[in-house]
Amino acid sequence: MNSLEEKMVTAVPDLRDFPLDRLAELGGTPLAHSIALYRERLKENGVPLSSFNARI
Amino acid sequence: MNNGVAELNFHRLPETAFTALAAGRGDPAVIRLLQGAQQSKHTMLLHAIAEAAGDGDPADPGTVAFRAGYQLLTRMQATHPDASTWLLGLPHIGGWAHDGLIRLDQGLAPDFAYLICAVAAAAVRAGVPFELDAPVRDGHVLLPGLGRLAAGGEATWARLRYDGKHLAAGDGVMAPEVVLGPDYGSGQPVPHWRGTPAVRVLADGLAWDVLLVTDDPYLDRYTLPMSAGLSDHDLRRWRQLAQAAWEVLVRHHRWAAEPIATGVSVIVPLTPQSETDLISATSPAAFGAVATSCPPDPVIMAETLVHEFQHVKLCGLLDMVPLAESGAEQVYAPWRQDPRPAGGLLQGIYAHLGIVRFWQSQRQAETDPDHVLRAHVQFARWRAAAEDAVDTLLRTGCLTPEGVRFTSMLRAQEMALGDEPVPGPALQIAREVALDHRLTWQIRHLATDATAVSELAVAYRRGEQPSRQQDRPGVWVQEDVRKLGTSVRSRLLSMSYLEPARYRELCADGVLPLSGADRLLLGRDAEAAVRGYCDLITGSADPQPDAWVGLALALHRLPASALQDAFAAHLPVLFDLHSRLGAGHDPLDVAGWFG
Repeated sequence: MNSLEEKMVTAVPDLRDFPLDRLAELGGTPLAHSIALYRERLKENGVPLSSFNARI
Repeated sequence: MNNGVAELNFHRLPETAFTALAAGRGDPAVIRLLQGAQQSKHTMLLHAIAEAAGDGDPADPGTVAFRAGYQLLTRMQATHPDASTWLLGLPHIGGWAHDGLIRLDQGLAPDFAYLICAVAAAAVRAGVPFELDAPVRDGHVLLPGLGRLAAGGEATWARLRYDGKHLAAGDGVMAPEVVLGPDYGSGQPVPHWRGTPAVRVLADGLAWDVLLVTDDPYLDRYTLPMSAGLSDHDLRRWRQLAQAAWEVLVRHHRWAAEPIATGVSVIVPLTPQSETDLISATSPAAFGAVATSCPPDPVIMAETLVHEFQHVKLCGLLDMVPLAESGAEQVYAPWRQDPRPAGGLLQGIYAHLGIVRFWQSQRQAETDPDHVLRAHVQFARWRAAAEDAVDTLLRTGCLTPEGVRFTSMLRAQEMALGDEPVPGPALQIAREVALDHRLTWQIRHLATDATAVSELAVAYRRGEQPSRQQDRPGVWVQEDVRKLGTSVRSRLLSMSYLEPARYRELCADGVLPLSGADRLLLGRDAEAAVRGYCDLITGSADPQPDAWVGLALALHRLPASALQDAFAAHLPVLFDLHSRLGAGHDPLDVAGWFG
């Protein structure tokens, strides 16, 4: 059981306030790693589109 | 910054948010956490595309446009941060960036030029002047999230100029700022400008503002095409439905309405293959967009929004916290006609938790007896379906530790709904429709061990005892191993609670293409239906898979028996065994022997 105060570190780098023209500075760092991980997930899982026919 | 190297932090998800999402909920504050992560994800993908643009042909017009857009966006990020936040949160941009990454991985160039259109839209919204070249598609420059401006002529590029008051494309095609926004259906047509259709709905003080997008290539990404070129009449219908559905949500499902108002910014109207289909879909690439064909009534639209928004939330969470591996095993999902990868089952379960909760409340809101019946059956059917699917998912072992924790919390929510009483007739319909769906799926997609079935047939002919339980023919999922369409009987069973009035009308007409046994089943003469199906199967030289399902349903209406259990548990084996024996054998004798 996790404490409700805990915060989970997620797989998404927080780029909200990061200047776009300085993203290149992160090129060889965890940002590249995060992009590679995302690419890997896409290759593994494809694009899991949900599609539902309510008349089944 | 640390020694000249930028530091990178990661989004953090509070346990309270994780717990709220696992309970199928999540208030607007939780939704904003998901939106923040999506903004970062889109920035991350934009960066990957920018790197590719940097390596591209510097003279290519698309690359040039991308660079110009990126520079303008960078400036706006500093001077008008709300504008860049708006752009990076657009589902359109999510779809574009996602597809761009896929194209890069395929060795293809992304659609670089689209960025300039989105940046121009953000700049117009923020009142930031610009002058740049934008691509022209079908005679228009698309401004995602706002509308489109006629470009005049047949050129593929147009000079787009915005001075803070007027937007012009090429020479002489201009629209004033006052109209440069979505079209809420209240104004007069404006020359050269077509605002993206939108609707602003309000109920009990809670508003929802949503675009109806039918012209953006990066939101045309669902199993059905978007409904391009909606007429004014169609748009009026969508707006009326949205308003009425919003009233249903706000008054009876406030837990869902508030987060939907925060998290759904786009509806993509879809074109169904037939008028009776209701198809809805969500894509993890376009967070904040839901797609649906036009629902038949406001309650169903409200249910569809709840359903699809569950997918939206889970897609957002899955980007942050992996909950399931891809899960190669194919399994039965009670809401699908086809086998599904185990890893994808979580999406369906999560969506149906929302559906169950919707109908739980809607049962109290309805007054018309037909609508009350529909609500009870929907509640009972999907409650049982979600419970079964959770068991399947946990059995497959495809969940990560966080996924097991999430699913266990989800199951606790379902257990809490398990005690809610359902009137007997509604429960009976729910169970029958669920059984029909499951057995039809099994006949379609469960293969049997042919050698073991042949040995059983030999034993039956010799009058020997059947093999021991543990030696019985193995079964495995194999898509479309037998051909079986959706029967008229199945459609009628669904119609009996989805559209009871129409169901009564059709049954009274007596003109439907049903077998005699089907008529007896629908007429609630189960014993005669059993005999009818047996005669049909015994007397036919060809396999009759639909009659086997009908026979199982007819038995299900009779008091509990070993035969009933055998049909419910082993239908594909019984069907294949009987096919091996050939015509002339009574299916009840075969099933009784197999027992």
